[in-house]
Amino acid sequence: MIVVNYIAAACVFGLGLYTVLSRRNLIKIVMGLSLMESSTYLLLISLAYRRGSTAPVLSNPQSGQTASSLARGNVADPILQNFCLTAIVIGVGVTAVFLSVAVRIAQHYRTLDADRIRALRG
Amino acid sequence: MTAANSPGTERNLGEPDALHRPVRAAVLACCMAACLVLALVGVPRERAELPAVAREALQAAEAQWHLDEPVNEVVYGTRGFDTFGETFLLLAAVVSVTTLTRRRETRGDEDGEQGEQEAGGREQADVDPSPGLDRGESRARAAETREQSGGPSEQSDGSSPGGTTYPDDERLGSPAPERADAMTVVTRTAARTAAPVLAIAGVYLAAEGYSPGGGFPAGAVLLGVILLLWAGFGRERLGRAVRAQSLESLELAGAAAIIAIEVLGLAIKGSVSANWLPLAGSPTTILSGGVLQAFSGSELVEVSTGLTLAVFSLIAMRHDWTPDEEDAADGRDAAPAGPELET
Repeated sequence: MIVVNYIAAACVFGLGLYTVLSRRNLIKIVMGLSLMESSTYLLLISLAYRRGSTAPVLSNPQSGQTASSLARGNVADPILQNFCLTAIVIGVGVTAVFLSVAVRIAQHYRTLDADRIRALRG
Repeated sequence: MTAANSPGTERNLGEPDALHRPVRAAVLACCMAACLVLALVGVPRERAELPAVAREALQAAEAQWHLDEPVNEVVYGTRGFDTFGETFLLLAAVVSVTTLTRRRETRGDEDGEQGEQEAGGREQADVDPSPGLDRGESRARAAETREQSGGPSEQSDGSSPGGTTYPDDERLGSPAPERADAMTVVTRTAARTAAPVLAIAGVYLAAEGYSPGGGFPAGAVLLGVILLLWAGFGRERLGRAVRAQSLESLELAGAAAIIAIEVLGLAIKGSVSANWLPLAGSPTTILSGGVLQAFSGSELVEVSTGLTLAVFSLIAMRHDWTPDEEDAADGRDAAPAGPELET
């Protein structure tokens, strides 16, 4: 029933989108974006899963097996696990940039309320 | 810095939103989630065969690279060029953060190279002809100078407390707020004990792990070690050992090593990310993986220093001491200086 994970990822993404669209506080908007990022981690790891599979590690094969037979056997998808790793690193960098922009905006405008930041209006 | 005052009719963050905003957001978010659910119900599930590219990566790990961890083969081998791009995206993010969070700089009037201060002063005089700094502005600049020089912050009554480094040195039960930069002896001892163990574990993760280990997770572990020491010993003491200039040089050295590894693969073997180093005979040795191990080590340097710079830049962002301006329209104070988190 891995499809439950897929649906949960879609719901978490929707929750993050709702936060971004409905909140006025810049920190909460960044938190919403982080929630959307997190939903992709859940989705990628769930897509990599196979029923009864082992982690994609070929060391210490059980008796009667070799690393090559493990590679041909039932293992989780290493490509999608790699995508997840990439997404985490990019997510950290993007969140750091967003937060530093939010702090600078708070210092300049004396508010974190997106409605009151008027220099970009018009 | 200027405070952009807003009309008196605007709401504060603590006030409830108009109903239309959450309702429209909920409708849009639900529609988006429903579209995603519809799309995801149709993707391959847990009983599907692995894609051919995944199977190929699994088999190439041992045969081509003498590795027993295919994820690292994908990171630094099959998708090596993507990782190359990702590394420089991270570098761009770190440069953005350090640029955004840097301190106020003098504009080089002393050496007369740029003259921005002078040019900006003329423009400022046109916009605001009032002579000189007012009292609030002078106090803000003085506080900023004190903060940048590492001196004690000004008390609300204007006195300077002469802060202590450790909370153990402060008198118990004193009515003054705690000024210590570091934490208590218990926390410092725990940090001293845990930091070397965690640092060795991080380096092992990169050097050996499943051979080779991952530079990305190991870099995150090393960042955790530095943050632990920061929390235990405080900004001032750690700042003497971990300097931004050294970290920036190290990060650029890591980036340069990654470029060299990839370009040498192109020059020697005709393909970016191709292996041009001798491979160890069997997996699980430090020499298995060839350039993958070198790539992983360079990533360790790049990620650990880059993330440390980004996090430290955010933590060390200075207080803006400029007072709020009076709202001329209705005479009330401008929006509060501190972040407002209630909605």
